[in-house]
Amino acid sequence: MEPLYQYAWLIPVLPLVGATLVGLGLLSFNQFTNRFRSGNSVFIVSLIGAAMTYSFALLWSQLQGHAPYTQIIEWAAAGTFHLNMGYTIDHLTALMLVIVTTVAFLVMVYTDGYMAHDPGYIRFYAYLSLFSSSMLGLVISPNLVQVYVFWELVGMCSYLLIGFWYDRKPAADACQKAFVTNRVGDFGLLLGILGLYWATNSFEFDVIGTRLQDLVQSGSISAGLAALFAVLVFLGPVAKSAQFPLHVWLPDAMEGPTPISALIHAATMVAAGVFLIARMFPVFEGIPIAMDVIAWTGAFTAFLGATIAITQNDIKKGLAYSTMSQLGYMVMAMGVGAYTAGLFHLMTHAYFKAMMFLGSGSVIHGMEDVVGHDPAYAQDMRLMGGLRKYMPITAGTFFVGTLAISGIPPFAGFWSKDEILGAAFTANPIFWAVGWVTAGITAFYMFRMYFSTFEGSFRGNDSAVRNQIKAEKLQSLGLAFGPGAMNPQELMVASDHTHDDHGHDDHDHPEQSHSHAPHESPLTMTLPLLVLAVPSALIGLVGTPFHNYFEEFIHPSTEVVHEVVELGAFDWSEFLVMAASSVGIALIGITLASLMYLTRKIDPSAIAAKIPALYQLSKNKWYIDDIYNAVFVMGSRRLARQVLEVDVRIVDGLVNLAGLVTLVTGEGLKYLENGRAQFYALIIFGAVLGLVLISGVT
Amino acid sequence: MNLDHFPWLTTIILFPIVASLLIPIIPDKDGKTVRWYALIIGLLDFALIVYAFTTQYDFADPGMQLVESYAWVPQLDLKWSVGADGLSMPLIILTGFITTLAILAAWPVTLKPKLFYFLILAMYGGQIGVFAVQDMLLFFLMWELELIPVYLLLSIWGGKKRLYAATKFILYTAGGSLFILVAALAMAFYGDTITFDMRSLLTKDFPLTFQLWIYAGFLIAYGVKLPIIPLHTWLPDAHGEATAPVHMLLAGILLKMGGYALIRMNAEMLPDAHAYFAPVLIILGIVNIIYAALTSFAQRSLKRKIAYSSISHMGFVLIGIASFTDLGLSGAVLQMVSHGLIGASLFFLVGATYDRTHTLMLDEMGGVGKQMPKIFSMFTACSLASLALPGMSGFVAELMVFVGFSTSDAYSPTFKVIVVILAAIGVILTPIYLLSMLREIFYGPENKELTSHEKLVDAEPREVFIIACLLIPIIGIGFYPKLLTQVYDAKTIQLTSRLRDAVPALALRQSSHEPIALQPAQNYPEAPAIVSH
Repeated sequence: MEPLYQYAWLIPVLPLVGATLVGLGLLSFNQFTNRFRSGNSVFIVSLIGAAMTYSFALLWSQLQGHAPYTQIIEWAAAGTFHLNMGYTIDHLTALMLVIVTTVAFLVMVYTDGYMAHDPGYIRFYAYLSLFSSSMLGLVISPNLVQVYVFWELVGMCSYLLIGFWYDRKPAADACQKAFVTNRVGDFGLLLGILGLYWATNSFEFDVIGTRLQDLVQSGSISAGLAALFAVLVFLGPVAKSAQFPLHVWLPDAMEGPTPISALIHAATMVAAGVFLIARMFPVFEGIPIAMDVIAWTGAFTAFLGATIAITQNDIKKGLAYSTMSQLGYMVMAMGVGAYTAGLFHLMTHAYFKAMMFLGSGSVIHGMEDVVGHDPAYAQDMRLMGGLRKYMPITAGTFFVGTLAISGIPPFAGFWSKDEILGAAFTANPIFWAVGWVTAGITAFYMFRMYFSTFEGSFRGNDSAVRNQIKAEKLQSLGLAFGPGAMNPQELMVASDHTHDDHGHDDHDHPEQSHSHAPHESPLTMTLPLLVLAVPSALIGLVGTPFHNYFEEFIHPSTEVVHEVVELGAFDWSEFLVMAASSVGIALIGITLASLMYLTRKIDPSAIAAKIPALYQLSKNKWYIDDIYNAVFVMGSRRLARQVLEVDVRIVDGLVNLAGLVTLVTGEGLKYLENGRAQFYALIIFGAVLGLVLISGVT
Repeated sequence: MNLDHFPWLTTIILFPIVASLLIPIIPDKDGKTVRWYALIIGLLDFALIVYAFTTQYDFADPGMQLVESYAWVPQLDLKWSVGADGLSMPLIILTGFITTLAILAAWPVTLKPKLFYFLILAMYGGQIGVFAVQDMLLFFLMWELELIPVYLLLSIWGGKKRLYAATKFILYTAGGSLFILVAALAMAFYGDTITFDMRSLLTKDFPLTFQLWIYAGFLIAYGVKLPIIPLHTWLPDAHGEATAPVHMLLAGILLKMGGYALIRMNAEMLPDAHAYFAPVLIILGIVNIIYAALTSFAQRSLKRKIAYSSISHMGFVLIGIASFTDLGLSGAVLQMVSHGLIGASLFFLVGATYDRTHTLMLDEMGGVGKQMPKIFSMFTACSLASLALPGMSGFVAELMVFVGFSTSDAYSPTFKVIVVILAAIGVILTPIYLLSMLREIFYGPENKELTSHEKLVDAEPREVFIIACLLIPIIGIGFYPKLLTQVYDAKTIQLTSRLRDAVPALALRQSSHEPIALQPAQNYPEAPAIVSH
């Protein structure tokens, strides 16, 4: 079996080769490369396919009980300092490799249909391949520095892909926001890594854990300092996994093409934060304060995301907040020490959320034929409805995903979420309560989304709704351009104008569309949906509480296996109570959603009107973006301008002043030294007189 | 001919200078022959450099190699003496590389081509001379020799405010050079023997007060060049007015002279004073990083933005020099090489963009990415390199400085924590200004006003080639830093131990390097740190 492990580095290298070759082709033989669209995509897809097959082989070998395998080379050295890079294959890695490669493979297949008419088709594949490579590099990292390297690289790919349609202003803003927000997280991660290295002289996960433990116990470093380092490291996952307070980039990141939202911003990259917490678990475990911070952050984010998702009209934004909320669950699970449960949810979520994002992409693809290629229209759920008739496969798979995320047994989300809630209850009932309430909200908003998209009647041609959306869009534009109440009529005209100018391949204006009914997406798009529906429905069965294969396979390296045996004594009554309560609240959420959005017995806008404050709070994302904008964005700009003023006026001013003084004194001397002897005599006389006077006085 | 005794370095220095003297007699009507001539000379000299260092140089030896010494003015003990060690070798290679590429970048220059290439080739030799000479007076001469071409290159081929910028540059640097001369003379005449030879000066035992004065003098001179805030204001003006090839030389090589001289003279020759000045260097480095990053963010002119980003990156060199660790010093050298490559590539791209848009104001650009996809992608790649993205050289250098400084045992933990946090804020600020810049140039809807009257053509093969040449080493070092670090490692280790010997508290710990980091709290508080607050 050894060769299998010796060549495991091929997994990230294969997609990298694909990305490099296609990228070089694009740069040097642009027209030639662009002519072979399908040739390029098939090349890249088959490379990731090979990586996927390899990953499955590794997972199989790990399941057979092969020992973890690590191979390293010396990467940088100076004096006594040595830094190694390499790869390590253990249970966690093998699992992550399979998750990443399968989702990446399916997303790439899907992309062929979704991006078929985009001029940047090949560039998109190159980026996708580059991302897959970086993400795979991240999961096989044997030490913190390598994690940091790939951590930044996936961030860069995310930046490139969010800004893929670079001529759209929102995309341009969103990609920068994503990168900078993630850099704030990386700032913490870097400081944490440096701190831990200073304390333990190691970058290896296990070594840091045990040494830090010893150091704290022997009193060499205070527990507070250890906690500080751990929390700093945790800042990295906070940004990457969109946890409060660094979550603001994720919803905006939906400006990228939908396959990206599925792959990067739902299934893999955002889960990297959870993965890092899992890797750092030996370190975090021993620091109760850090664990508390993690758990509270996760719990709050889960709740925050869910409350915002309720009022979103943009289908992708809604899913983005739902992702944030689900990531909150995973982080909370890690924080309460439920390592396995968190990773289990990571896996199930990766599959069902990727499927739902791809489903939303399929919906958008269908809607674009009716409302045109403007995300403001094509992604707005108020214009959808009744799509099940037109897109049965998309609707069916989306429904599976909705059931999975709502936690209805036996779909995947039920098992993982229930395991988290169970662990949270034993740790601290408050966490359980938050998770439980959030589960209800989740069921509500997901079914709201499902009903308003796929059920009822199609509203795509409703001009009243269109005008409303247009007005909202203009309002946001108006706000963006600063105050000064403009005449709405004027804005309409103006925007029609500007709208023609920008917008990605915006050949058809919303008003002049091809057809009046959406259509089902091509096979390359529906096939991945169908494939993903299988794990979304069934993969939860590997982790049932009465026979948890998953936990047997994945458990913290520090934990001994006897706990698994302990779990064999399974308490049915406790499980049933827990399961019944979480299914119960999910059913309440679903009922409410169906009353409001399916049968329309309750008018949601009436409720919104009754509690305007709460409604506005949710709709405006708790005003967090506005606060950040006012404090950080404007603040940093003001500070920068002031520093520049200082630089130009004071520092450079002094320099120029020195120059001026020289010039003036030179000019002055020119008039004094005019060559007339009488004048010199006068000066000498004056000077002598002065000296006499001074000596006389003293 | 015996290759072992061939005067390699002298040839490398004098060859372009001699070749430049032949330019006036080259028959050339349209300026096309002379640019080929210059390029071939540049390539030949670069080939000589590479050949000399690969065959005649032993990377494991920390001492001076390829040494040549000829008496020049024996009464003054003035000698033409050159040599290279791990400190100068990477920078000499960098100089050959960047200057040759700059000649290629200057392809479209049509104004007075003969004079232009004469100056560039003269500078070629002068720059290598600065890094290679081993005599203080000679160093001063070389330092001045490279000023005059820059002055002329700025004042003839520059932008609108070129005379102001050129005058400012020459006054600033010449003012700084005075300190070099005075300090060099003081060092030479101190003690019983009069010598300008650097290796003889190393063995002289200067008293502390004397060292401090000399150190301060050198610091001002090299602080102008590096530049260190507040001695930096010549740089945005000079950079703002220079043409792309001159720009590449300014950013790629001239700034490195400051860093090189700081290590070579301040640190190596005056180790006792270095122990006192090191915290000052660290604080100046922090100021450089943050102050310049903020200024760059507020700048609306593209060239000035990148100019300030150079200043910001030089802050890491200062911190590395003052870290008293192998890793930090090695990181400082790596940062110089890395910034030489990245800075040159960014400035070249700025020039390429300017050639198309004919404006440097960010407000007048916007959405040009669609028409210039190649320039867009190259600009993105180089900006990402500049913001220290892993996989590129800038990241490795900054990481080495960070790890080196944070594991340094010369400073108290509190001081280190503050410095590391402040330096890491620079890590957040860099992407803010660089990505904003990219967004304002390339992203968003097309700026109709610009595209209506400027024809935006994409990069030509020559431009792609130049950037590719620069990106290959950037990515190569980023992927496998040992590629570069191992060739100068021996020297930085030797130098670090010399620096640590000067600090009594550190000298004792030379051998017990590992356990310190293992048991921080037991060792650190006892350490009589340089800065304790």
